[in-house]
Amino acid sequence: MSDRRNGRGAPIWWLVFRRELAELWIGGKALVLVFIFSLVLGVITYVVAANSELSLIPANEMVYETLKTAIAVALFIGLIIGSDSLSGERERSTLEHILLTPTSRRQVVFGKLLAAFTPWPACLAISIPFLRVLSQGDPVWIPAILWGSLTGTTMAIAYTGVGMLVSFWSNTNKTSYFVSLGIYVLGLVPAQLPGKAQAGFFGQWLQMINPMAATSHFLSKMLVNNRHFSEFWNWLLAPMLLALAVLFVLIWFAAPALKLEAGRDGIKEVLRTRFAKRGRLATATALTAASLLFAAPSMVQAQTPPAPSAKAAASQVTPASLDIAIDVDVRHVKVSDKIPFTTTVTNRASETSRPLILAMNIINLKGTGDPVDPEDWSPQRTQYVEALGAGQSATHEWQINAILDGEFVAYMVVLPEPTGPNTTSQPVASSAIHLTVAPYTKLNPSGVLPYVIATPVVLILLMVYLFRRRRREIDTGGATAS
Amino acid sequence: MNRTPLELVPKKGDAPRAEEGAPILVAEDLRKLYGPREALKGLTFTLGPTRVLGFLGPNGAGKTTAIRILTTIMEPTSGRFTVDGVGSDQPDEIRRRIGVLPESLGFPKQITGIEFLTYFGQLYGRTAAEARAKGMGLLEEFGLQNRARSLIGSYSRGMRQRLGIARALVNDPAVVFLDEPTLGLDPRGQQELLAQIRQVAERRSAGVVLCTHHLSDVEGVCDDVVILSSGEVVATGTVAEVIGGTQRNGNVVRVHVPSESIAQAQRILEEVSGVLRVTATSGISGWLRVEMARSADGAPDDPADRNRLLDGLIRANIPILSFDSEGGRLQDVFLQLTAGGIK
Repeated sequence: MSDRRNGRGAPIWWLVFRRELAELWIGGKALVLVFIFSLVLGVITYVVAANSELSLIPANEMVYETLKTAIAVALFIGLIIGSDSLSGERERSTLEHILLTPTSRRQVVFGKLLAAFTPWPACLAISIPFLRVLSQGDPVWIPAILWGSLTGTTMAIAYTGVGMLVSFWSNTNKTSYFVSLGIYVLGLVPAQLPGKAQAGFFGQWLQMINPMAATSHFLSKMLVNNRHFSEFWNWLLAPMLLALAVLFVLIWFAAPALKLEAGRDGIKEVLRTRFAKRGRLATATALTAASLLFAAPSMVQAQTPPAPSAKAAASQVTPASLDIAIDVDVRHVKVSDKIPFTTTVTNRASETSRPLILAMNIINLKGTGDPVDPEDWSPQRTQYVEALGAGQSATHEWQINAILDGEFVAYMVVLPEPTGPNTTSQPVASSAIHLTVAPYTKLNPSGVLPYVIATPVVLILLMVYLFRRRRREIDTGGATAS
Repeated sequence: MNRTPLELVPKKGDAPRAEEGAPILVAEDLRKLYGPREALKGLTFTLGPTRVLGFLGPNGAGKTTAIRILTTIMEPTSGRFTVDGVGSDQPDEIRRRIGVLPESLGFPKQITGIEFLTYFGQLYGRTAAEARAKGMGLLEEFGLQNRARSLIGSYSRGMRQRLGIARALVNDPAVVFLDEPTLGLDPRGQQELLAQIRQVAERRSAGVVLCTHHLSDVEGVCDDVVILSSGEVVATGTVAEVIGGTQRNGNVVRVHVPSESIAQAQRILEEVSGVLRVTATSGISGWLRVEMARSADGAPDDPADRNRLLDGLIRANIPILSFDSEGGRLQDVFLQLTAGGIK
């Protein structure tokens, strides 16, 4: 950036940054948005923690879900502030002041971008205590903060820059907010696709080139699945490329053509002077090629079939020779209680069994006996048993988490694996566990309530402090506007 | 002689920034096309230091386009201009030498007047301390020193206009552009602001371009005038030259009397020698239009004839509320020159 200093004073970008920072934070806009962020994060954290106590979501999943939400909401804030940065000035007729000064337009835009970016560090700082308490002693909150800082910062630069670009070419905030909101929603769409669409080649590719989806995927793999960075680094390419591309277009291409009125002069001039057709084509080709390149390794990885497991060859046994027993019959519990029990499968035949599959079934006795999805109720829905020798038994530990009140029965079945695609087998059922679950509510799940309440309160106190300090700086007497 | 923005404001009697008498703003054949429509058709004029130039024209005449070109907000399709010797191909250097009060000027409401001026002083390259001192000086000059630490949101319209002019002066400009500075002000506020504009030109040896619809403002404060109509310059020169050059109805005067005396006044005036016709101005109660005979060579009427008109009314004890010569005011010239160009 040329013209870094104008005369003997401070650099232009620094002056603009400080002015914008004061307007955003002391003027209250950023503080209000961050306050709303703390409320949203508090509610999400509370819900996640409450759900965790009911269904035992592991700590790392809770941390991941909360971090993902924190980043998504913070990006929205950055987008909104970016969207207002130039079109808002046009609307308030204050942009002309700046355009009439001999300042570098690049530095002006850069200073504004820096200021519009500042809500992200604040949001991250607010998220840390929530992540810490949700981790429940698991050290997952440390990598969550590290990876969250990396991905969130990259995405915050990208989204704030996108907001500013939209604002650059909008005359009114109405237009820039509308377009920015559309872009934000578009970023969320791939995550809403049906599971199969997300899993296919095209779905995977779509997620990988979508910076928002790629960020979520990367964080999920790092925090939930404990995978190594080297396996999934390519999922960071889309956010990083977007951030770099946005910075490049905003600061290098667009900023020097900053005009009083957007549209006609703005876009045409930028394209005419800086973005020749050939360059446009080359850039589009390069971006597509890059996205394909970094997508390829992941696709290979996604398409690679799992290595076939070696199964012991065994002869078939009749169902009558199998037996499954449960050590619990009746339990009276309350919601959030855990019911551990053990099953014992015995092969009473005189020969080795086929491999066996044990599955849990739960039925709600209210009404007509609705089935319940055991996935919500238990960390183990099925368990696998290698072939059992004649007269051998196998015991398995199970756990049911009572997540709803009511009357339920749970029972187990053991199913010999069919010998081939044209054969079937007969499952054997156990006796049932009759569960009577009483309602129960916990006000402070995982101990998050103090944070949920204290964070917005601290922010309100900060707002009051800043307001009072500002009141002391200014003269509040005298005439009012007429 | 080009000046950096940090040179001190010249006091009265200091050497002028440009050569003595040399214009500090020169516009040469400026044209602007919006698609096929020509918004500005060859604007040419000059402005000297300490002069105030009234920039006039009906709505859509091209005033705003011209001001935006001269203040580097917009590029001309063709033509060029210089400010204090700096050509229009150096917009940053031009911006260092001009100060502007745009018509649709917004202010950040959550900062104080002194913070606003300090910020812009810094943008022009001053240190924070210098910019603050400069800002305080300007606030004092424009009578806002007591509201320096008040939020701009609490300023009245007049105060904001004065703050806007102060903002236009933070870089000690060679040329100041003021677009409708008196808009929305009460009569006293208008008078005070016009006096300050005059002082800006004289004390700072600056040229001032005053863009306004208030023709009385121009008559009161301007030395020169440019009138635009449909993008074309239809008159240029000193105010006296423009009025004199277009005065074609010097033999018509207008008299304003109380409505109840209008019939009596009409009779009396018709009897005065040299009066050809007296008619009541339609639509405006109490005004009479008096056409007087010209001399044989077409020269303007004898002032003594006008005195006889007044004498007749005074003798009849009819109060004279107003008396002027048609075509002798800038408004008449403006209406005459821009007829058809008014939108």
